[in-house]
Amino acid sequence: MDLENTKAQMRKGILEYCILSILSRNSCYASDIIKELKDARVIVVEGTLYPLLTRQKNAGLLSYRWEESLQGPPRKYYELTPEGREYLKDLDNSWNELVESVNLIRAK
Amino acid sequence: MKITVSINLGGYSFNIDEDAYAELKRYLKNLEIHFAGEESSSEILLDIEARMSELFRARLNSYKHVITMEDVRNAISILGTPEDISDSETTSARDKFSSPGYHRMYRDPDHRVIGGVCAGMGAYWNIEPWIVRIIFFVLAMMGGLGVVVYLILYIVLPEAKTTAQKIEMKGHPVNIHNIKESVKKEFENVRKNMKL
Repeated sequence: MDLENTKAQMRKGILEYCILSILSRNSCYASDIIKELKDARVIVVEGTLYPLLTRQKNAGLLSYRWEESLQGPPRKYYELTPEGREYLKDLDNSWNELVESVNLIRAK
Repeated sequence: MKITVSINLGGYSFNIDEDAYAELKRYLKNLEIHFAGEESSSEILLDIEARMSELFRARLNSYKHVITMEDVRNAISILGTPEDISDSETTSARDKFSSPGYHRMYRDPDHRVIGGVCAGMGAYWNIEPWIVRIIFFVLAMMGGLGVVVYLILYIVLPEAKTTAQKIEMKGHPVNIHNIKESVKKEFENVRKNMKL
């Protein structure tokens, strides 16, 4: 068993959930999402985020709009679609269940 | 003194050292190959380029106007190589892009002596093709059975033409990583032949 690998496997599953959670608060620019994910230490290399965002957008969970920026070319701002909110609600529930299950086992 | 190149990255123009430019180009090309099987791959690449341009801008100031190799390496370490990215991707997403590991027998045109039948069988069972050839030769000497079997196999077995077929022939799953490896190998072969 490789500790680093196990940790990476754990992170994988929650990354999509974290992205949707960040966007549920307000619409965000990709670099803002990256900053939050990095501060929370759930992402190692930034390149992982972009394919996930595009996949979630293609699945109809996210949409984006172009917004003018003072510092240069327009930026992509992502936001949750109504479908994405429903999806996130489901994920919230299953996350709570998971935490409960793990706590139950660890408390014994 | 160094030559610089002027590039447009994410809507910004940068002056970049020639060697750094080569490294950046190689990196972006590898990412392109990595995301090739993905829906909207060009969109992912544009997003990554936009981020890269942001990382570059953060490293320039009034004393530093040119992007160097160090800046490119720094940006690559932050964004991650295709290998780093696929390591942290969900496995379900990755499996979507590789067909189940088919293992089929083909004729191998790259290592053929006559029609590639023995080379293909060797690749299929992962044994030295010469062993198969000797068996066929012995069978051919003993009443000609080897010749008949060879002809039938030549007709029945398709030739491995595409990269995907050549990977299937050896029994590896056909995915982006294996195709990349195989193309790289072929490219090196061509280069070797050119030198001879």
